Amino acid sequence: MNQPARAFSRERMDRWPTAKLEGYQLRRLKNILRYAGRELPFYRERFQRAGFDPDKVKSLADFARLPSFTKKESLDALKQEKNFPAGLEKLTASGGGVLCMTSGTLGTSFLYLPERWAALRGDSLARAYRWAGLRRGMRMLMAAPAWHSLAVQETRVIQRLGAACVIPWGTFLPRYARHFLDAILDVKPAFISIFLPMLYALLAECRRREMGAAQAFQSVASILVVGAPMTPLARLDLKRQLGVKDIFEGLGNPEGLTAMECPHHVGHHIFLDCCYVEIVDPATGQPLPTGERGNVVLTSLIHHGSVYLRYDSEDLGAILPRRCPCGRSWPLMEVYDRRANILRIAGRQIVPYDVRLCLDELPALVNIPFAVIRSATPMERLTLLIQKPASGNLEEIGVRIATLLRKKLAVETTQEWAEELPQRWKGVTVIEEQDWRGTRV
Amino acid sequence: MNQARAKSDTVSETPFSVRDLRALRAAARRRPADFAATVPMMTLEQLAAAKIASGDPYSLRWRKKTPPRVTFQLEYDAEVSLYTALEAKELNIYAEALRRCWSLFGITKGDRVAIFDYGTSPVSYLASRSFTPYLAKGAADLLGCLPICNDGAANLSQRAVEIVRFVRPRLLFLRADCLHPFAAEIHNGALRLASYVDALVAVENEGMLTAAERDSYQKSLGVPIYRLLRADAAMFLAPECPSCGLFHIWPDLYHVERSAQEGRAGRLLVTNWFAGSCQAIRYLSQIEAVLERPGCPAGSQHPRIRA
Repeated sequence: MNQPARAFSRERMDRWPTAKLEGYQLRRLKNILRYAGRELPFYRERFQRAGFDPDKVKSLADFARLPSFTKKESLDALKQEKNFPAGLEKLTASGGGVLCMTSGTLGTSFLYLPERWAALRGDSLARAYRWAGLRRGMRMLMAAPAWHSLAVQETRVIQRLGAACVIPWGTFLPRYARHFLDAILDVKPAFISIFLPMLYALLAECRRREMGAAQAFQSVASILVVGAPMTPLARLDLKRQLGVKDIFEGLGNPEGLTAMECPHHVGHHIFLDCCYVEIVDPATGQPLPTGERGNVVLTSLIHHGSVYLRYDSEDLGAILPRRCPCGRSWPLMEVYDRRANILRIAGRQIVPYDVRLCLDELPALVNIPFAVIRSATPMERLTLLIQKPASGNLEEIGVRIATLLRKKLAVETTQEWAEELPQRWKGVTVIEEQDWRGTRV
Repeated sequence: MNQARAKSDTVSETPFSVRDLRALRAAARRRPADFAATVPMMTLEQLAAAKIASGDPYSLRWRKKTPPRVTFQLEYDAEVSLYTALEAKELNIYAEALRRCWSLFGITKGDRVAIFDYGTSPVSYLASRSFTPYLAKGAADLLGCLPICNDGAANLSQRAVEIVRFVRPRLLFLRADCLHPFAAEIHNGALRLASYVDALVAVENEGMLTAAERDSYQKSLGVPIYRLLRADAAMFLAPECPSCGLFHIWPDLYHVERSAQEGRAGRLLVTNWFAGSCQAIRYLSQIEAVLERPGCPAGSQHPRIRA
């Protein structure tokens, strides 16, 4: 059996009955718990502190008794060690593999991604690229820079599927959109894998060149986007503007999560061969029923490289209470935003994704960049910074926004219009008030 | 006239026609003066012009019937974007060139190597097979090292400092234009760099820190700084040797000449011997250099350049 065929044969498990999948995940969880208890000091200490015996885990409910941890705790472990590794990984003596970084406001984490990790995650991920239409011989524009954990997986995906790739110069910051657009125009990829803010930056670059986006993306059949949530109407509008056959969205992080859309676009299938996902109540830490929003807690099922067991990703998400018409039994999930982006307005909690859903109901505002300005003091109103749409009366649009948000989210709003959102905030949906006002002094 | 010479003479005078690299190589070795006189130069301007005229992203350089597996957009501030493409075998030899650079800088098995440069710099993408599709072994795989990369953007210098603090790489490859912000971060954090890394390597495509700049940074950072020459259009890499202070060239991979042409005198011409499918023959770089004889104990047969 050739390599791609072997990888695709694993896709049979996408349709296993739920009970069989749960049994499979429990077996994998037990294995990785034993591995962590034996090899990884970070977890040995955590198990000991919590009085948690990995050998006594007989059910998923038993597993949920292991306390979750956040990035801060893994960073504290690194700071305590003063040197990588920090006890979440066992480096292989034979070498191979790479270190990657994830950054954030708290600091930088280092993750060890050995070749076996890349092979298992990449082979699993390959199915999503097939769902999105990537085939042998097709050319894919690979936007993730080499060092990014997504690129490490895509390297495997591309080889597995026998695709060709074009690597544009620069990185996925909007200021490199010029190079990315050149690469699309010159090398004509049929498939693009890209971060959503960069896709918006490419649209802006098309406008700057006075070039129709559909003309620029003429060669492109499918786009796979990651990095920010895309609403259903935003997808439709992007498809229309770009003239592409379809746009797929993926969720993922190097700590463990892979969840990707199939062509039905009713949510992201959780890749149960790589990760175990729980949604828990932020206040009690208890599991929430499907459909309710809560903290996304992840466990990687791959015992190679950096291992994350009950890692609180600080994302706000939900397991969706529906099955996908594609027939795959892998559950569907949605991630709405980082928990840090939750806004508390007049006693209500909302995230920018909720605002985006509302704005999308106004045709003039679909895919128009916006940001929420957050005040350090309690907020009674939602202040929106919105890029001026190409057409329409701003006063009338403002009234419609206010009415919509009052009806759907029960919040009062104030709007500010900008010719263009400042470059550094493209793709960033929450701006702290002091930063925003500071730039205008 | 020998057979090799005859073959090189039969090629078209246009710079991008397909050539028999083996014959050219024999010609360059046996009769370098004839090679220089008969084989036209290739310039960045010609590549751009060929691309504009033909619409071919590879500037008419791609010689295979099948499309390339891996295409890289090159880092040049030109009016049009330029590209190179490599077959898997060529990609592996290019990575071997980077491996030799690492070895000359003293990297050995088990070392950690940090790279603060864009993912699309060859210094990054040739480092590991995990980074680039169809690369069988990157420099780190060949040596048994653990690499870590991050974008070499000046505003991300804090990340480079965090890499240094927590990963403690033996060597940090750094874009030359990031040296200043990196040094500022090191000083702000009152970090003693020598406690964390053995040396820095400043990298730039067709440019280089001057010796005076290098000395100044060495003094302020307290670690040796070596330089690595890149000419991406010719897939060229040449490391500054810590022993002799000159840049080593591997004659099995590259042939270098010094242009004597008026207005371009002193610039390095590079011929790449491994890139058969997207050739770079007598590529006129922006690098000004003087050719030196072999004779360094770290590679007694390597031609060297002083740049």
